[in-house]
Amino acid sequence: MRDYPTGSGGIALALLVAVAVAACGRTAEQRDADRRARESGYRGVALAEPVQRPDFTLTDTEGRPFRFVDETKGFVTLLFFGYTHCPDICPVQMANIASVLSDLPSPVQRAIKTVFVTTDPERDTPDRMRQWLAGFDRGFIGLRGDLEQVNEIQRQLRLAPAVRMGETTDYAVGHASQVLAFGADGPARLVYPSGTRQADWAHDLPRLVDEARATSGR
Amino acid sequence: MQWWCAAQGIPWEWTWRPYPGVWLFVGFLVLTYGWLARRRGSRLRTTSFIAGVLVLWLALDWPVGALGSGYLASLHMVQFVLISLVAPPLLLYGLPPEALAGLHGRPRLYNVWRRVTNPLLAILLYNATVVATHWPALVDVLMASQPGSFAIDMTWLVAGAIYWWPVVCPVPERRFPYVAKIGYLLLNTILNTLPYAFLVFGELPFYATYELAPPVGGLSAREDQRIAGLIMKLGGGVVFWTAIGILFFRWYRAEEGRPGA
Repeated sequence: MRDYPTGSGGIALALLVAVAVAACGRTAEQRDADRRARESGYRGVALAEPVQRPDFTLTDTEGRPFRFVDETKGFVTLLFFGYTHCPDICPVQMANIASVLSDLPSPVQRAIKTVFVTTDPERDTPDRMRQWLAGFDRGFIGLRGDLEQVNEIQRQLRLAPAVRMGETTDYAVGHASQVLAFGADGPARLVYPSGTRQADWAHDLPRLVDEARATSGR
Repeated sequence: MQWWCAAQGIPWEWTWRPYPGVWLFVGFLVLTYGWLARRRGSRLRTTSFIAGVLVLWLALDWPVGALGSGYLASLHMVQFVLISLVAPPLLLYGLPPEALAGLHGRPRLYNVWRRVTNPLLAILLYNATVVATHWPALVDVLMASQPGSFAIDMTWLVAGAIYWWPVVCPVPERRFPYVAKIGYLLLNTILNTLPYAFLVFGELPFYATYELAPPVGGLSAREDQRIAGLIMKLGGGVVFWTAIGILFFRWYRAEEGRPGA
């Protein structure tokens, strides 16, 4: 029979081993991101290099051109690339943002724009996108464009381009799963990967708005 | 293939999936009962035990088990009510008292069981288990693996058996007065208010497992959590008050049958 450490000394040793194993299990990049997050005071992942606000024009669900730089100027902007047939990540990210936004005071809500760009323009018609987004929050903005154009925007944002997976009509689309958070007039310094919880959004969104107001002096 | 239901993080599909571990467990219970109750079981007791096994099977297998372990907190709570509150009294009532006499032949085991099923300790153990097995950090870690999910299910079953023992005690020498049993059950209708309130009035979802699970049925994570709390309170309430009603009428009949009544 094997002997196991017992008593408080044993428990402490086991905890120490567990912590050491956990620490070794994280890559240098992850540890660096953790450090930046701690320093930033946000729960989102702080980017090593901020991502500039992209200058692109796509079409919104009413068929009108939407120039991102102009339309989001002065707003904290959450930008996400996904598709409405997505079975997991997209609806969870959208639902969690919507749920937290609905709890925030109106002035904070009004200071935030959430923009969803489809990576599946073939199936995501304007009507479908409008209905799908309204299921989360009527204020969410849906944008469409050619997939090549959308992928080019993603490359500018240092996101992986979307890839169609499968040939049947119920194909999936591989896409970046993180939400980029842009300051009111500035670049994105934070991203929120898949797995971001409502508690994290509730912690960060008011701070992002406060920071934006402090920066712009409003 | 999974042997026990656990969170997988893949989109839900209404396609049947086999869980052989659940079948083995259910088969083990039936075979053990057949051996314990050979030539001794009454029809009522056998029916009760089989009903208990069916309730467990419903709670552990697809779809309730699969949805409850990785998709919906509300179904997880249905599992909890079925495994810890509905199945144990049915299983215990179904056990032939003579089969339990075998415990006397194992004095150490008998003494341990006698102690943990002392009503005061039983209610403490049960409620401590309820709190621990609904603690978000623990649930999120355990539900992500099959052994962890199995551990939660078995903990509920054992804690339920301990809790219900003073009420449905099948051993003749450990029978408590009706009034004590009713008081014991009433006390738990009050004690389960704490986890209920925690779930229903929580402002944010507590369980990452269910908050980040691929969505099922159009429920938001918060609605799902609130329904879970209501199931704990109302589902548990139905079980407790049904048991209280049965005990009350038995008590009444027993008093009526007494000489001089």
